[in-house]
Amino acid sequence: MTDRNPDVDPKLLEILVCPVTKGPLVYDREKQELVSHQAGLAFPIREGMPIMLPDEARPLGDDEQR
Amino acid sequence: MIDQPDSRDAPAADSAWFGDRAVPPEAKQGLVRGVFDNVARRYDLMNDLMSAGVHRLWKRSFVEQLRPRPGERFVDVAGGTGDIAFRILERIGAGDRAGGVIVCDLTPAMLAVGRDRAIDRGLLDAIDWVAGDAERLPLADMCMDGYTIAFGLRNVTRIDRALGEARRVLKPGGRFFCLEFSRVALPLLDRAYAAYSDAVLPALGRVVAGDEASYRYLVESIRRFPAQDLLLARIEAAGFRLARYRNLSGGIAAIHSAWRI
Repeated sequence: MTDRNPDVDPKLLEILVCPVTKGPLVYDREKQELVSHQAGLAFPIREGMPIMLPDEARPLGDDEQR
Repeated sequence: MIDQPDSRDAPAADSAWFGDRAVPPEAKQGLVRGVFDNVARRYDLMNDLMSAGVHRLWKRSFVEQLRPRPGERFVDVAGGTGDIAFRILERIGAGDRAGGVIVCDLTPAMLAVGRDRAIDRGLLDAIDWVAGDAERLPLADMCMDGYTIAFGLRNVTRIDRALGEARRVLKPGGRFFCLEFSRVALPLLDRAYAAYSDAVLPALGRVVAGDEASYRYLVESIRRFPAQDLLLARIEAAGFRLARYRNLSGGIAAIHSAWRI
């Protein structure tokens, strides 16, 4: 369970939305995050598991906003 | 219709029940998560001990009534350790599991236990594991053929929001299935069950999981949960059709089901 970093199932990515806005998510493979620009939140993916909890999401910085 | 003998389901306007304590709604989720972080590793063992193995029969009956078919897609909410997901896939059989099951749970520690069990069973590819809140599902509208929640709705802060989310993610023709502890309908059984709950369950929690408080919460949350008819009315109020329920073991648990038309 240490450095395993499996990709997220592409079929899952198709139906995942932002839990706050229900808007689209952008998959950032490098950072292993699912980014909701509408909500200004980046949801972490840990060991291939999307953590879609607003409390655990990273607020986007000004330079990351669209 | 909404006439309950006691007002257990109605804490003061601005609070939620955490077991027998009224807490601010925003606090309940964190408290519930604390319970499941604490019990995750021993959760399945505890369920076996607490229900003398009966929870397995209830879950089997639950999935039989769900009648999952090949190619269908399910979300199992609050299904951390994978019990329902495994049963759905086993019932579909080795054929077309293309739809698969998404397990969505508030507690990553529970999901980690479930994923390890899925690896042991060779079911890893058919299940996706997502940390998410039943009141704010991270799923698109109308993408699921079935929504299941087993022993989970009781732990949700705002049940009606969770029901609304269930309806939202279901396709028209999709079905909702809830398995939950309910209100014992038989006069003698209810007293025996109450005594058992108060004396035996927290003690088991202390001995087996090393956590009496968490299991005391579980007992109290069962008592607070709306009785069969009340839950049925709330499922209908959320916009579901053809809602019904069936008691298990004299009403110790019940299966509620409904359709999104």
